[in-house]
Amino acid sequence: MKFLTTNFLKCSVKACDGSNDNFPLQYDGEKCTLQQNNDIEFNAEFLTNILDRVDWDAILTVAADLGNNSLPREKPVLGTNGDLTEDDLAVLRDLHTLLICTSIVEGQMQCKNCGHIYYIKNGIPNLLLPPHLA
Amino acid sequence: MDRVDRIELGSSMLPTPYVNCDYETVYEPCEDSFLLLDCLEDQQEYLGSRFQDALSVVCELGPGTGVVTTFMMQNGIPTSGKSVYFGVDISPWALEATRDTVRRNKCDGIFMETVQCDLTSCLKPGEVDLLVFNPPYVPAENVPEIPDDAVDRSRWLDLALLGGENGMAVTERLLQQLDTVLSRNGVAYILFCARNHPEEVAERMRNEYGWEVELVIHRKAGWEVLSVYRFSRKIM
Ligand SMILES: C[S@@+](CC[C@H](N)C(=O)[O-])C[C@H]1O[C@@H](n2cnc3c(N)ncnc32)[C@H](O)[C@@H]1O
Ligand SMILES: [Zn+2]
Repeated sequence: MKFLTTNFLKCSVKACDGSNDNFPLQYDGEKCTLQQNNDIEFNAEFLTNILDRVDWDAILTVAADLGNNSLPREKPVLGTNGDLTEDDLAVLRDLHTLLICTSIVEGQMQCKNCGHIYYIKNGIPNLLLPPHLA
Repeated sequence: MDRVDRIELGSSMLPTPYVNCDYETVYEPCEDSFLLLDCLEDQQEYLGSRFQDALSVVCELGPGTGVVTTFMMQNGIPTSGKSVYFGVDISPWALEATRDTVRRNKCDGIFMETVQCDLTSCLKPGEVDLLVFNPPYVPAENVPEIPDDAVDRSRWLDLALLGGENGMAVTERLLQQLDTVLSRNGVAYILFCARNHPEEVAERMRNEYGWEVELVIHRKAGWEVLSVYRFSRKIM
């Protein structure tokens, strides 16, 4: 499961929907096995669109869960005149490496509201609930 | 059924993905799958212009073999180089098959993730721009329970087919989630068979919930009539 996906997954438990703690899930850095795939082609326009869209605070939180505290506190702002500067490109490349090339192959994450633990196996997160919670 | 059959059925131009999965556990692409492909092909221009300006988050519910998601990826639907794809299925077999189909069709360069989940319950609200669902729509007494373990293989196939009362039990739950899961500009394409009474469903979604609902394609398939409806919010 690619890092970017953590920006879209919340706890499946319905009762948690009213809470602000059901997103992002809390990733267990000790139990998560990360994999880096640097063969994925970098596409600056794609990354620009991703950056526009993501919840930056959630990215920061999950990155910290996984032991990465090097991201800027504020969402990077790219040059506004359409042309990307060298600095912009460097930012986008870093994000490409983190959001697209980094995946969690095995691991687990937990809802900060209800404490339910979800597992990632063979790169596939399982957010199905056991019958008594569904 | 393969690509040639699909071309004979309609006037399709876009290539159909190559699919080769274990059909004892995963729903084999059929008339309904191909109707959805033809629908998306017809809607390609509409979707392209609707979503040209930004990233599109695409979610296929119940991708099964992954034929529909792979088709979208291959053909840049809704947009090329600006879309990310999520396949959300209740069946672990379907998710494996989907990943496999994406790979076989050389789409690995495109962002696609598989997630095991019941409908949209794990998706952050308001994020999905394009939702596609070919649900279990066959009327049946009940929607089958989720098999206890992945070992009980063929029972996963029942989940792909059986839709409870009027075949609408699963689709009905999804319709109730639509407002939560779709982005402001989001659209959903949902497949129905005639026994689902889709016209009544569409009317209810228009009147009670204020959705814009349009029949975009329909076709006779054996003794079934299949149709796809498009749901979006009314632009005030
Ligand atoms: C009719 S098959 C469609 C498969 C594929 N999309 C196609 O068109 O060929 C329905 C799919 O929905 C999945 N499914 C059934 N109930 C579901 C649920 N509650 N949440 C997510 N997926 C579900 C099944 O596992 C199956 O893969
Ligand atoms: Zn929770």
